[in-house]
Amino acid sequence: MFGNQGNTTIAKTTTHKVVLPFYVYASISFLAAALLLVQSSGNFSGTYFQPNILAITHIMALGWGTMIIMGASHQLVPVLIEGELHSNRLAYVTFYLAGIGIPFLVYGFYRFNMGAPALLGGGLVVVAVVMYTINLARSIINSKNRNIHALFVFAATLWLLITTSVGFLLLCNFNTPCLPHNSVHYLSLHAHMGIAGWFLLTVIGVGARLIPMFLISKYENNTLLKRIFYLVNVALISFIICFFSTNKAVLLIPILLMVAAITLFVYYCRQAYADRMRKAVDEQMKISLLSVAMILIPLVLILVTIFVFILSSYYSPQLILAYGFFIFFGWITAIILGMTFKTLPFIVWNKTYHQLSGKGKTPNPKDLLSDSTFHWMSLCYIIGFVLFAAGIIMSQLLILKIGAIALLVTAVLYNLNVFKVVLHKPVTDASNRDK
Amino acid sequence: MCTAALAALETVYDPEIGLNVVDLGLIYQILFDDGANEIECTMSLTTQFCPMGEAITAGVSETLAGAFPGYNVSIRLTFDPPWNYDRISEAGREFLKR
Repeated sequence: MFGNQGNTTIAKTTTHKVVLPFYVYASISFLAAALLLVQSSGNFSGTYFQPNILAITHIMALGWGTMIIMGASHQLVPVLIEGELHSNRLAYVTFYLAGIGIPFLVYGFYRFNMGAPALLGGGLVVVAVVMYTINLARSIINSKNRNIHALFVFAATLWLLITTSVGFLLLCNFNTPCLPHNSVHYLSLHAHMGIAGWFLLTVIGVGARLIPMFLISKYENNTLLKRIFYLVNVALISFIICFFSTNKAVLLIPILLMVAAITLFVYYCRQAYADRMRKAVDEQMKISLLSVAMILIPLVLILVTIFVFILSSYYSPQLILAYGFFIFFGWITAIILGMTFKTLPFIVWNKTYHQLSGKGKTPNPKDLLSDSTFHWMSLCYIIGFVLFAAGIIMSQLLILKIGAIALLVTAVLYNLNVFKVVLHKPVTDASNRDK
Repeated sequence: MCTAALAALETVYDPEIGLNVVDLGLIYQILFDDGANEIECTMSLTTQFCPMGEAITAGVSETLAGAFPGYNVSIRLTFDPPWNYDRISEAGREFLKR
């Protein structure tokens, strides 16, 4: 009945010491971005190219989104590829370089000083991403199981490397012009490589594995995932080509390809949900699934923006600001809010209780976080997101302020729960008796 | 004795799924060697790099050692055949539907 491959050794998973610092850094970054959002609410009724907005965008993209994805992927990629992480040391180096670089870069944007601080910060971030790419590439090369999920993650990492390198080039171009146009001209290129290349490919690649796993769903469709993979990459490459075209109507091609890719991913998630064995869906999964649907909102907005431009040669700054807000504070934030509390409690539980298993009653991983704090956080998030988005579209400062405060409360509650989990002390039958 | 072992292992849970390892179908075989006072438990995990693998196998080992004092317990981990959702018992499926 069984093969001869039985053994008593357990495959080594990535230590929590590598992963937890990324989570903590990301949660503090989210708080910093929310604070800056309250302070800068008034700037969201003008153009997107303002120091505060650039600073917030980069805290959200790098400090929040990228740091948590890099941290989680050090734990999840070995699960996806059924192999070990190549090097913990490279993961630490990635953390320290990015962790030091991001504040310098953000400070440069905030002060609108693209000189030494921004260049130092940007340079450190690029080197951090190089280290991360090497670590992932070596892990995947050494693994036995190079599946579609690993392909998504690796392609996403390459896009991150291209995005940060282009970003650094744009910083250099601010100081010493070396490109045909000024750096502002290339911002949408830099932004979309990061949004679609890094964030979208990672979310689809990892989400396509985690969502069925957490729902306990048998649904699997690698053919569909391959189609999505090609659609996203072809959309991005065609976007780069179309970007340099004088006819902006051709931008509809990559957008429609992206709409097709995302629609297929929404279909994939819907099928996984429909085939699930676990009927009860917890709040963390609900908000993660909500985020999948939220990808469609910025797509509709960008289609409207392009149509407005084709018809009137006018870009609405409100629509562009709303587009960016929907991506960073909508889709990316929603998936992180949900997935943090599906992954972090397990990492901490494993650190605290793996040696106590079977020796007495221990709490469940989900008991490590506060459900009521999570519930209030979700509520504040939805209120803050809707109000701030409405404030941008209507250019109403009061609505923007209230929305920003609700998002700040969201960030505070998120941090409270993250620190509650991270600082959890062991509770066992023995410790209860001692009390 | 095997029935008693399985009953004991119904108290060991996969922390994520919340289902015990028996109904989850992780236990493939339990062999008793009464002469040598040894128990060999052949089991699997939902994935080879399951982050909870160490905790689950430790739970199985400790529970069997507690249920059968004097016996040495060894865990034989196998992924041949690999675990899949069809291994979940009827009781396990009912539990998940709640």
